[in-house]
Amino acid sequence: MSNIPHLHCENVVVRFGGVVACKNVSLRVETGKVVGLIGPNGAGKTTLFNVLSRFQTQTEGHVYVDGKTVDRCRPDEMIGRGMARTFQNINLFQELSTQDNILIGAHRLMGDPVSSMYSLPWARQRQAGQIKRALEIADLLGLADELDVTVRHLPYGIQKRVEIARALAGEPRLILLDEPVAGCNDEETAELREVVRTVNRDLGITVLMVEHDMSMVMSVCDYIFVVNFGANLAEGTPAQIRANPEVVKAYLGEEAEA
Amino acid sequence: MAGARNPTARASAHIVDREAVAHLKQRFAAHNAWGVIALFAVLALLPFLPGFKPWMAGQISLVMVYIVAAQGVSILTGYTGLVTVGHGGFMAIGAYASALMVKHWQVDILVAIIGGAIMAGGVGVLLGLVFLRLAGPFLAIGTLGFAFFVGTIVTNVPLFEGREGISLPKNKALGLELGDVGFYFLALTTFAAVTLFVHSLVRSSVGRALTALRDAEKAAQSCGVNRLFYRMVAFTVSATITGAAGALSGLSVRYVSAEVFADIWYSVDILVACVVGGSAMLMGPIVGGAFVALLPFVLEKLADFSFILKGVVLITVLMFAPAGVCDVLARPVRAWRRRQLERAGAGSGAGSQAGAKVEPLKRQEG
Repeated sequence: MSNIPHLHCENVVVRFGGVVACKNVSLRVETGKVVGLIGPNGAGKTTLFNVLSRFQTQTEGHVYVDGKTVDRCRPDEMIGRGMARTFQNINLFQELSTQDNILIGAHRLMGDPVSSMYSLPWARQRQAGQIKRALEIADLLGLADELDVTVRHLPYGIQKRVEIARALAGEPRLILLDEPVAGCNDEETAELREVVRTVNRDLGITVLMVEHDMSMVMSVCDYIFVVNFGANLAEGTPAQIRANPEVVKAYLGEEAEA
Repeated sequence: MAGARNPTARASAHIVDREAVAHLKQRFAAHNAWGVIALFAVLALLPFLPGFKPWMAGQISLVMVYIVAAQGVSILTGYTGLVTVGHGGFMAIGAYASALMVKHWQVDILVAIIGGAIMAGGVGVLLGLVFLRLAGPFLAIGTLGFAFFVGTIVTNVPLFEGREGISLPKNKALGLELGDVGFYFLALTTFAAVTLFVHSLVRSSVGRALTALRDAEKAAQSCGVNRLFYRMVAFTVSATITGAAGALSGLSVRYVSAEVFADIWYSVDILVACVVGGSAMLMGPIVGGAFVALLPFVLEKLADFSFILKGVVLITVLMFAPAGVCDVLARPVRAWRRRQLERAGAGSGAGSQAGAKVEPLKRQEG
C-alpha cells in the first residue's frame, strides 16, 4: 500500500481544438504530504487541476486516486473518492450564510434526498449533527463569528477561508487548493498558510496546491512539481527546486537569483 | 477536529455570544411561523363570518389555486434559478388528467387531484430530461414551446374535447358532495400542505443543493451535488405542485376547456405572480399569486386593462425590487432583527444583512 500515491496522473494530454493546454504531464502526490504545483502563467496548471477534479476530460492519459482510476467519474463523484477542491477565484454561494456554505460542503453526508425533502425525523437529526460539525470546522478555521453572515458581506481573505471550510465539510482525505492566497494581503496570506498547515498536520489531509506566491509554496510544501508549456519541467523538494537552474530560468527569474 | 488548535489570531476572542444568538434566531423563526399560521387561521375562519357568501368561496379558491401554481414555479425559477415560461402546460396536464379521470372513471376528486399532480410530475421528469442542458433564455424558450405543445394537443386531440370543453358532475370527496365552501376547504388544505412542503424543502439539504446550483454551479458540483439529478428533482417537484393547482382549478369550476388551458397567458401569469411577489421567498408566491388573481376582480369593468397594469407592475418590480415585493416589505423586519442580534452581542456583521437576498432573474449563467 505504502508506495501507492494518494493521487497520481500519467501522461495527461489536453487539447482544445488546435491548442494544447497540457502536452504530457505526470504527477504523484504522496499520502499526507503538501505538494505544490507551480509554473508560469499559461503553463496548464489550472487545466491540470480541472482534469484531476474531473471538470475537464483529458484527451489522453489517466488519473488515479488511491491507485484506482477516476477517468470516468463526474466532478460531483470526486468528493465520494475523498477529494475536495477550491477554486482560483472565489466560488462561494454568495447569497447564503457561511454556515449554509459549509453545510453544502457536507452534502454527501446528508443522506437520501427524499427524507430530507420532507424533513423526516432522522433527516433532521442528521442535519442537526452536520450543523454541529459545521460549527467545529468554523472554529478550527477561525470562522465561528461569521457563521450567520451572508458570505457576500465578508472580506476577501475570510471568504477564502470559507471556501476551505466548505471543502473540509465533505470529510475529504485529499484537498486541491487552486491559488489559495491569490489576491490576499500579507496578513491574510500568513493566516491562510497556517490554515493549510492545520489542514495537513492536524487533520491529516493530503494537500495539492497551485500557487504563485513563492514564499507560501516554499514554506509549506514538502514536494513541488514545476510545469511549463504544458509539460513537466522539474520536481523535488523546495530546496532542490530553488537550486534547479531550469526552474530559475523558466519561472523564478531574478527574484530567486537575488 | 474540535480539539485542534486555532490557526488564526482573530478567532481566539469570540465576539459572539452563541447561545443568545441561537435563542434569538429561534424566536425569529417562531415569529415567522406564527405569521403564516395566522394567515391560514384567518382563511380557515373566513367562511364562518357573517356576510360571507358562497360565491366568495369560489373566488378565494381560485386565488389559492393561483398561489399554489406560483409556488410550483418558485421551486424552479426562484430557488433553482431556472426561469420557466411554460408552467401553464403543467396546469393543463393536471386539469385534464383529473377531469378525464372524474368523467370516465367517476373517481373521487381527491384521487383525481393526486392523479393530476402525479401525471404533471411525470411529464415534468420527461421535460427535465429533454431540457437537461438548457439554461437561461434558452430554457425559457424551451418551456414556452412546451406550453404551446400542450395547448395544441388539448385543442386538437378529440379526447380533450377542444374548445367545447369537458363538463364535470358535482364534486365528490370521500363519498360526500362538495359545495363551494367544501371545495374552499379542500383548496385551503392543499395550499397549506404545499406551503409546509416548500418550507421544509427549502431548509433541507435538497433545497440547499438547488440554491447552490443556482449560485455557483461548479462549486456545487465539487461539493458532490449531482447537477442533472437535482435539476430533475426541481423540475419534478415544481411540475407536481403546479399540476395539483391545475387539477384544483379545473375541478373548482367543474369545467375544463382549451379556451382556458391552451392559453399561453396562463403560464405568463403564474410566472409574473412568482416574480412580483418574490420568487425565492415563502411569502413571495402567496402575495404575488393573490395580486395576479385578484387584479381583474378589483378592476371590475376595467378588467381588460389588467394585462397592461400587470406589465407595468412587473417592470416596476424588476427595476426597483428585483427580488420581489416581499423582499422590500421584509427589509425593515430584517434590519430590526439584525439590530436585535447585534445587541445580543453577535458582532457587527451578524444576521442576514439588508439588501436583496436573491435576484434570480438578474443572475443567469456567467
